[in-house]
Amino acid sequence: MKHIKTLTTRNLKESMKKGGCGECQTSCQSACKTSCTVGNQSCENNK
Amino acid sequence: MVHQYINNGYHIVLDVNSGSVHVVDEMVYELIAFVNEQENPGNIEKKVISLAVDRFKDKYDERDIQEALEEIQELTKEGMLFTEDVYEPYLKDFKKRPTVVKALCLHIAHDCNLACQYCFAEEGEYHGRRALMSFEVGKKALDFLIANSGSRRNLEVDFFGGEPLMNFDVVKQLVAYGREQEKIHDKNFRFTLTTNGVLLNDDILEFANKEMANIVLSIDGRKEINDKMRPFRNGKGSYDLIVPKFKKVAESRNQTNYYVRGTFTRNNLDFASDVLHLADLGFEQISVEPVVAEEGDDYALRMEDVPKLCEEYDKLAKEMVRRKKDGKCFNFFHFMIDLSGGPCVAKRISGCGSGTEYLAVTPWGDLYPCHQFVGKEEFLLGNVEDGIVKTDVVDEFKCCNVYAKEKCKNCFAKFYCSGGCAANSYNFHGSINDVYEVGCELQRKRVECAIMIQAAMADEEV
Repeated sequence: MKHIKTLTTRNLKESMKKGGCGECQTSCQSACKTSCTVGNQSCENNK
Repeated sequence: MVHQYINNGYHIVLDVNSGSVHVVDEMVYELIAFVNEQENPGNIEKKVISLAVDRFKDKYDERDIQEALEEIQELTKEGMLFTEDVYEPYLKDFKKRPTVVKALCLHIAHDCNLACQYCFAEEGEYHGRRALMSFEVGKKALDFLIANSGSRRNLEVDFFGGEPLMNFDVVKQLVAYGREQEKIHDKNFRFTLTTNGVLLNDDILEFANKEMANIVLSIDGRKEINDKMRPFRNGKGSYDLIVPKFKKVAESRNQTNYYVRGTFTRNNLDFASDVLHLADLGFEQISVEPVVAEEGDDYALRMEDVPKLCEEYDKLAKEMVRRKKDGKCFNFFHFMIDLSGGPCVAKRISGCGSGTEYLAVTPWGDLYPCHQFVGKEEFLLGNVEDGIVKTDVVDEFKCCNVYAKEKCKNCFAKFYCSGGCAANSYNFHGSINDVYEVGCELQRKRVECAIMIQAAMADEEV
């Protein structure tokens, strides 16, 4: 496309199909302990 | 829902429901906003094309406008723009869903050798008494975790406090017990340690590097900032003692799987300088986060501080891009965003997991929804001996998600923060289903900055 550059992202709608395995890290356990941060975590299924 | 913003010269369009991120030119930026105002943005009819041409023909070439509209329409057809929110039905019967416990925050010591001004644990005591967790209680906590983890294999245990190194022998015993049990039950324990560093020594470091998947090292940044909020009980600052130790930890772990983790308050609204100070000390994994405080505390962040704090995030993001280009990069936890490999939508809408997947355990074995709730008796869920007793409170946490919160419904950041921190909401509004507005403003800014950094990096690759 000439005017639009789309970054590679995971399609959230697609992720509904086989998502929710629950193996990923608990949000607060990483570093924060005070602020819910989910979007920066990785999916264990994608590894 | 579409969110548009300009940051560091990039025109960014986020299609919230698909998670797609588009970096566009100024014309498309304006056209998308125009299309979004129309009755049916998902379908650009001839009428809309002529309206758009009329509106923008003085500014842009007519053929270019048409071409841009075609590109917009193409993305829409591909499900990457103006996507509908189809996730709410997933939450039907959410209360009935079985949940497993996958992480524990073990309060191995309700005692501390520092007297940090902002400590939500009140110098380690959590509105209660000083106490150390016994091996017996810790062992029961690990048994409880295994027994309640269902088929989940990866189990997380954070040794937290107070200061966990004040009870290090029990930490060692529990790790040994966990390693033995994980083989028996086909589990994988990921242990982490959160420490102020005062008692760190070579023996502890050697053990931690062998057993701890992550170490969180508490330090606020510049010496004067750190020492004001993180003194010893005699008032002396902790910076000079901990910095050399933390450097050693970072190097010995090859600059990965650790965080230097600070808190910013009203005393250092210019917190970007603290982040950069930590980076200049050589740390590559940094997290500096807004304080959680009661409204009346003099160091609590206020709504009037938000513009200044947002400026700091912008400043930091720009500087990170500059350093990345120079090959001197570091990670800032709140700007990390995994666009291509991030969590599935189920994770994004179901909240942080407190009270369901994640529980805190006090030194005497009481269970709370998370470390922030420890000491608030109405949230006492049960104990490691009898398990969860107050299932009604767990049900309340089960239902705490982005769709349960009115203020989240129209927020573009909802799939990145998953509805925010329940404890923050409770502290400010007396309910876990509300939001903490200052936190939300900062979260939105962080998401914008994080995506901008990704856009800038993608720009470099071309």
